[in-house]
Amino acid sequence: MNNLHGILFAYRSNPNLRELTTLRTISSIPFGGRYRMIDFNLSNLVNAGVTDIGVIMRESYQSLLDHLGSGKDWDLSRKHGGLKLLPPFAFARRQQQTSFRGKMEALDGVSSYLHQIRQGFMALADGDIAANIPVQDVLAHHLESGADITAVCTSHPMADPRQSTYFTIGADGMVADVACAPAAPMGCEALNFYILSKDLLLSLTEYCAAHNIYSFSAGVLMGMKDELKISPYVFDGYAARIQSVASYFARSMDLLDGSVRRDLFDSARPIRTKDRSDPSTYYATGSRCTRSLMADGCIIEGTVENSVLFRGVRVGKGAVVRNCVLMQGATVGDNAEISYVIADKSVRISPYRTLVGHQSYPLAIAKGTTV
Amino acid sequence: MLLAGGQGSRLHALTSHVAKPAVPFGGKYRIIDFPLSNCTNSGIDTVGVLTQYQPLELNSYIGSGQSWDLDRADGGVHILPPYVKEGSAGTWYKGTANAIYQNMGFLELYDPEYVLVLSGDHIYKMDYAAMLDYHKKRDAACTIAVLEVPMEEACRFGIMSVDGKDFIQRFEEKPKHPESNLASMGIYIFTWSKLREYLMADEAAPQSKNDFGGNIIPAMLAAGERMSAYRFSGYWKDVGTIDSLWDANMDLLSPGKGVSLYDNDWPIYARTPVKPPHITGESAVVENALLTAGCHVDGTVRRSVLFHSVTVEEGAVVEDSILMPGTVVRSGAAVRYAIVAEEASIGANAVVGGEADADGARPPITVVASGVTVADGVCVPAGAMLEKDGKGGGEA
Repeated sequence: MNNLHGILFAYRSNPNLRELTTLRTISSIPFGGRYRMIDFNLSNLVNAGVTDIGVIMRESYQSLLDHLGSGKDWDLSRKHGGLKLLPPFAFARRQQQTSFRGKMEALDGVSSYLHQIRQGFMALADGDIAANIPVQDVLAHHLESGADITAVCTSHPMADPRQSTYFTIGADGMVADVACAPAAPMGCEALNFYILSKDLLLSLTEYCAAHNIYSFSAGVLMGMKDELKISPYVFDGYAARIQSVASYFARSMDLLDGSVRRDLFDSARPIRTKDRSDPSTYYATGSRCTRSLMADGCIIEGTVENSVLFRGVRVGKGAVVRNCVLMQGATVGDNAEISYVIADKSVRISPYRTLVGHQSYPLAIAKGTTV
Repeated sequence: MLLAGGQGSRLHALTSHVAKPAVPFGGKYRIIDFPLSNCTNSGIDTVGVLTQYQPLELNSYIGSGQSWDLDRADGGVHILPPYVKEGSAGTWYKGTANAIYQNMGFLELYDPEYVLVLSGDHIYKMDYAAMLDYHKKRDAACTIAVLEVPMEEACRFGIMSVDGKDFIQRFEEKPKHPESNLASMGIYIFTWSKLREYLMADEAAPQSKNDFGGNIIPAMLAAGERMSAYRFSGYWKDVGTIDSLWDANMDLLSPGKGVSLYDNDWPIYARTPVKPPHITGESAVVENALLTAGCHVDGTVRRSVLFHSVTVEEGAVVEDSILMPGTVVRSGAAVRYAIVAEEASIGANAVVGGEADADGARPPITVVASGVTVADGVCVPAGAMLEKDGKGGGEA
């Protein structure tokens, strides 16, 4: 066990994700053939030896509860510590509002949980970023730099700046300026992964609660940047954030690139997920499958190109699937032709249907729909 | 009680380091996953796995039993190796019956009314609960699952002769002139009090080989016990030889022929490694094949079963073969009618195995043992059993 405790914020949703988040938060969006977004930071923490992790949720969390279960697939089902799910019932509401407005308010709501934490350092991370972050290294960097807060960021901004935080790094190597939701990227983009001491987090939480500060990035990082020593940890490996249907599609297609996969699925730090005990994927005689990322349990009788298929997908005879993301249990009937389609779980495309989206506007089909 | 101590010597190089039940099967499984999953799906929650030969990999594979839902507060899966007993030195398991005899203490911990005895070398799906109901309904001392086999093959099996009500009259191991075609599947349900009695008597008989088929069943028949045959009609395959292991894997590629793996009502569970989904590359050709997590195929794969983390490079051809976890087939290599064991590597332009003849008859199966490297350009002939690294130039 090391001296680091993880808190994952898994409550964010985003109207730009349309059909993909009607029943779930971004953290539980299926990604990469067999994962949910939360698997990445959860695995990052576990791979660094973190044994105690709290997951803060707010609404539409049924799918996340289903996915995480007792935490055993991440080795987090422990007698002492392990995975703690923190749904909104855990929140003591200070100000009569129905729910928390930001991370600091969310943390204040679980302050009794925070006080019981047995580790000296805290990793705060989002459940909705896919990256293979070497957390052990970040912790070492934090201890060495003597900073109050270490912020993981990338020098290759790629998210929507209006939904991101940016750091300007000063001559001393520390964060000199913090910009929240600017119109254009300003320096390194935050990957929303922070390490700080438990004591600092507790005092920040109390201070923020007493001063009606609810946001970590705007309230703490930007608001207190002159009082706090913030050290950047520049991580230039692959990182994906999902902020719209188009970016979900683009990030999914990124995975067809070998260098991206090597970055994300580094076998020394494997990404763990819920085990489903699927059989292998069967490719029938006459099937054709190229340039695709394929999960287990599929039966492929038609043609699949340039696509990401999740577990248990069926592609019928004569069907053609190009540039698509088909989630768990989706079925493409015989002789159907689809391209630039994101089919959510258990979507059924009937035989002989033709569905065509566009790279800039992929056709997202809601969970369970029959076309 | 799952008998998993067998050496499986007819699987040669595949079992030099692991017990037969731990041999990989069907892309994601090991042989033992089938009886273990059958137990779970049949509602049996207390399972003893008797190990003896090369148990380390099997032990770590089974672990707490979590993968089969057999990590239970009461019961669950137990690994049962031979152990030293008070007053005597203790012995290895002398035979299948002796293995159970030596674990009577384990059975008495749970004090069951009935004991199911299984072996770890068959691929099949079976509801043991239905068999137990049948055993109880017929008030039998022992019920043996039987399968109708073609008469001409009956001489390869333990054959049961039954009366008009399917009570067993005679039992013959591999008879030259079989009088029935009901083959024992090596699945027994005993009323524990009866089995206990016969195990004690068998142990006291110095001439006995302490074997279920050879001693216990004949003794029970001779004593006139109610011995019932339970007819089974699904897919059942002994995978005790290289040929039958290859056949059973290939059966999975013919829809409707092999054991069904896509049946949600009777899933087969396995312990699976943490690997990303598999990749088919730009130039991949994959037909009539099973692929699983961690594989990367840029070459051609036909009529083959690939386990996790197998790499088939561009220009390589894999046909009618089984590639176990972590094997690599370099570009330009050809692998046909072969079983390539874990972490073996086939060098560029190497040729492993033979081709079917003009009549379509398959050549003998070639085996490359685990960890073996076949150097670039080497030719490993049909039927070869390569246990050491093959060096460059000419035939290995």
